[in-house]
Amino acid sequence: MEAIWLYQFRMIVIGDSTVGKSCLIRRFTEGRFAQVSDPTVGVDFFSRLVEIEPGKRIKLQIWDTAGQERFRSITRAYYRNSVGGLLLFDITNRRSFQNVHEWLEEARSHVQPHQIVFVLVGHKCDLDGRRQVSRQEAEKLAGSYGMRYVETSARDAINVEKAFTELTRDIFELVKRGDITIQEGWEGVKSGFVPNVVHSSEEVLKSDRRCLC
Amino acid sequence: MSKRITHNKQKMSNDGSKKQFWKRNVSKVPGSIQHVYGAQHPPFDPLLHANLMKTGNMPHTTTVKPKKATTFQEFESITSDAWDVGEDDDELLAMAAENLNIEVVMETANKVIENHSKLQEQKQQEEHFEKEEEEEEEEEDRDDEEEVVTQTASSSYSENRMVKSFSEAHIAASKEGVGERATLQRQQSLPHRPLIPLVARMADQNTSGSPVMTEREASRLDKFKQLLAGPNTDLEELRKLSWSGIPRQVRPITWKLLSGYLPANVERRESTLQRKRQEYFGFIEQYYDSRNDEHHQDTYRQIFERILFIWAIRHPASGYVQGINDLVTPFFVVYVFEYIEEEVEHFDVSSLPEEVLRNIEADSFWCMSKLLDGIQDNYTFAQPGIQRKVKALEELVSRIDEHVHRYLQQYEVEYLQFAFRWMNNLLMRELPLRCTIRLWDTYQAEPEGFSHFHLYVCAAFLVRWRKEILEEKDFQGLMILLQNLPTMHWGNEEISVLLAEAYRLKYAFADAPNHYKR
Repeated sequence: MEAIWLYQFRMIVIGDSTVGKSCLIRRFTEGRFAQVSDPTVGVDFFSRLVEIEPGKRIKLQIWDTAGQERFRSITRAYYRNSVGGLLLFDITNRRSFQNVHEWLEEARSHVQPHQIVFVLVGHKCDLDGRRQVSRQEAEKLAGSYGMRYVETSARDAINVEKAFTELTRDIFELVKRGDITIQEGWEGVKSGFVPNVVHSSEEVLKSDRRCLC
Repeated sequence: MSKRITHNKQKMSNDGSKKQFWKRNVSKVPGSIQHVYGAQHPPFDPLLHANLMKTGNMPHTTTVKPKKATTFQEFESITSDAWDVGEDDDELLAMAAENLNIEVVMETANKVIENHSKLQEQKQQEEHFEKEEEEEEEEEDRDDEEEVVTQTASSSYSENRMVKSFSEAHIAASKEGVGERATLQRQQSLPHRPLIPLVARMADQNTSGSPVMTEREASRLDKFKQLLAGPNTDLEELRKLSWSGIPRQVRPITWKLLSGYLPANVERRESTLQRKRQEYFGFIEQYYDSRNDEHHQDTYRQIFERILFIWAIRHPASGYVQGINDLVTPFFVVYVFEYIEEEVEHFDVSSLPEEVLRNIEADSFWCMSKLLDGIQDNYTFAQPGIQRKVKALEELVSRIDEHVHRYLQQYEVEYLQFAFRWMNNLLMRELPLRCTIRLWDTYQAEPEGFSHFHLYVCAAFLVRWRKEILEEKDFQGLMILLQNLPTMHWGNEEISVLLAEAYRLKYAFADAPNHYKR
């Protein structure tokens, strides 16, 4: 049974190889930490419901992208239809932090004409002893881009919920305020099928048309 | 679509010989093992066969001696480094050195090593962590059923062991079960302990010695042995025989012959092996900084790292691409078995004598290189080979199962979203290792097995899940299904059926080269 949801948001998770994108998503969607995950090839798909307020659920569809440069030609196709993004770096890997800017540029140049709401995520915060990027520094960078900053650990399940839910809430607010609107031919935000929620008749019609036969 | 197919049918029935061909293929039921057997030599009208070859992409290996140069092979002999027997090693080394600029070498080295040693470190920490957690778990959640099941099922793949969820609140995704299966079935490209989980536990015919051999199997093994014994192995005959699977006992030698690593002449084999192994370790000496080994003590990972490193620096247009690492595993595992007689569940690679390990490493390197030479455009910039093949897959599926194709379209599932990985990793992430090994028996026996026939296998594979696909009711369900197809329990039989169907498709659609274009 499909659970009832208010909106569906598509999100993309980006960042250097081995910063822990897949592990973070798996922790979030499957509630566990895979000991080792194979490097992502191309793009993987995940999904989960998030309850942002009692009774208000958002369905998240999450694209997990391969960090390796060779796969850019594949992964860049996924920006356009994303409304939210988690930009990860590894707090024990300075280089992955230095590449944050490059990732943002990559996203910006491929998301036109839409926009992605990003959160900057400093991952592997359980490895504090090997930290190469200070919290202040990362917060400052995030601030300069107007993004939230959150430190997470998929292994210890720290702030994983927070990272996704806060981003979801931010987007929800923007949708409510009309700053982000549902658009035909754009997958970033879709309206759900909930009683008492008004959604455009066009949306309903569109899904009805999806009968196969 | 259906119109086009009908049209083709008509076209063929107007032509006498083609009619024969069409009917013959239609009358063969997909899945027939007989059909598979000797598939390289379908009883075709030679005239028709010639026609097919002209239009299709298939090389004319049926009547051509394997060593004889086709255009492609000629091209290869010019460009490929150090492949053909009898070339001057020094010259090759010089060539290689000249072609490699130091930046490329360094960058590649960094990529390969960073990637692997990172994983390794992570692993060590995790193992440590895992132990602690295991203890905790024992005290805590004994009644967590799901967890128990998961652990039992994945026990043969220790690295897939799942860790219990912490108490973070979470609304379970509706497809959680699927995700779990997926995690279980996905094999590790690089096992993280020096143990090979040799899949023997899974009643595996491909890697473990199966205790009872059927009469048919025994007779097949005999045929192989006879063929391999002669002063000159008839490679054409060997391909025919191998298409429907190679007995475990003769698989290492057969793979080496089919890949072109070993010469058909028995007397020359030993010297060839020696030369190629020396050559490989010459590369290691010249390019590989042994300080890299300090990162970790794990023999298995060191070997993989060296193989990938040497390949990457010798192929700067590709460099190291994730996925290539997966492709080393089947060779490595099969060649390890050349040195193990007894049946084992887990095998500690580092228990092999160093000399033996070196041989396995060099052999794996060369055979992997040979494979990759045929599919290099999968891994060069923008991965044109994959893009092309995914398009071809889409076109093919639209013709063989319009319903499934339209269903995917309807829900806006793009082929690239699931089939990219099928091409990039040759289905290795979708199938258990034992199945990949069996699949590669055929790929090495089939002309352009890895580069072309694989496309038909992917098409057959997709359509194989038609029922499950049509049961899904939205994009999400389809994506999750297609990224986690339940093949965990697959064995030789399923692969044989798949190959039979792929073979049927290949010949049914071989007259339509236009299926590459939409």
